[in-house]
Amino acid sequence: MQNDNFLIQQLKDKDELALSLLYDKYAGAIYSVIVKMVRDEGKAQNLLQDTFMTVWDKAESYDASKGRFYTWIFRIARNKTLNFLRKVEPLIQTDDFSVYDSKEEAISIDARYLELNGAITTLEQHHKEAIELVYFKGLTHKEAHQQMNVPLGTFKSYVRQALKQLRKAYTKSLSVLLLILNAL
Amino acid sequence: MDKKTILDNGLLEQYLLGELNAQECEQIEQVLAFDTELKAQFDAIEKDFETLGLENAIEPPKGIKYQLIQDIREAKDTKNNRSNTNLKYYLGIAASVAALLMLGNFWMYNELNEVKDQLQTVETEKTELNDKLNKQIDNDIALFSTIAHPDTEQYVLKGNTLMPDGKVVSYVNHSTKSVVINTERLPKLDAEHDYQMWADVEGEMINMGVIAKDQNLMAMNYIDHAESLNITIEPAGGNDHPTVSQLVTNVYLN
Repeated sequence: MQNDNFLIQQLKDKDELALSLLYDKYAGAIYSVIVKMVRDEGKAQNLLQDTFMTVWDKAESYDASKGRFYTWIFRIARNKTLNFLRKVEPLIQTDDFSVYDSKEEAISIDARYLELNGAITTLEQHHKEAIELVYFKGLTHKEAHQQMNVPLGTFKSYVRQALKQLRKAYTKSLSVLLLILNAL
Repeated sequence: MDKKTILDNGLLEQYLLGELNAQECEQIEQVLAFDTELKAQFDAIEKDFETLGLENAIEPPKGIKYQLIQDIREAKDTKNNRSNTNLKYYLGIAASVAALLMLGNFWMYNELNEVKDQLQTVETEKTELNDKLNKQIDNDIALFSTIAHPDTEQYVLKGNTLMPDGKVVSYVNHSTKSVVINTERLPKLDAEHDYQMWADVEGEMINMGVIAKDQNLMAMNYIDHAESLNITIEPAGGNDHPTVSQLVTNVYLN
């Protein structure tokens, strides 16, 4: 984090190397989110580049006291991608708020780009789906609960529960890591 | 908006994901700024989401980063170029204006010098003219005072057969020893000849002066004991001795 703060300051000072290092750290995670939302590698790549261009241009407006740098980039990427989807495919949005379902078959994309990895795969199906919808598919809570066909309150508790499970998994892996480090 | 509302409605998650509008965001941020416990909770969720993202990272093609850096450099260059071009443009205008001003100044300086020279010439001419006029006036006054003098006697020199239509009126004053003649009626001579006036003193012709062609009234040399006044035609500039054959008029003095 200390390292990030320094890089972010450098980024605000228009240091290309700082952008390059921050890109290396976060582009993969952001690209994953974008590609799962847009389901098109070429478009996702354009959006990723566009996102980091905005990161470069608007770095000055990032306020560390309001949240993590990753969260800031995530929001930029999510907004850009949603705007893009609304603009180019307005007819695809159907009554059930699903931006994608009606087009699912038409899109060809490497299936592993849509797969989830890590701790989320250990969650129960409905927890996993709740997180996937709001985090990786760009749906709002209101859209997602309709998609899952459960009341909004229930959906919110799914998200909360899922996060709790994830935290447990991450803390555990962190403990293991610490144990290993201690052992060394 | 209070902490309970935020937690019950899962607003932290929605805020983090960017689902809320600007007004809602502001309200959440206000609460987070003062509630350290809630802020800690938010930090934890942020960290979880970040870990989740990083766990699911997909490496984008290398070309994207390269392209990104290229685009940034190009944008920077364009910006620099534009400001350079602007700077050059403005410098160009400034240089042109400066050049015009310099040319203008140079022109005005030349004009000023020319006007100064002209003024100098006019001043000189005026002085010369003044002198000339003053001299002329002095001269005229002298002539008229001679003519008007009570002791002045008038003698008319009538032309002989060589100058039947010509005459000269002379004014002689023995007390002031001056002679003035009126040559209005003298026929014009060519450039090679002049009229010259002589005084006859005991049989000797004494030069009284060459008569100017451009004056109607002029003073001649007064010669003491002159018995007569004579006018001859002589080569231009006058002669040492009168050419008697060219005598055109004479008059005896009383």
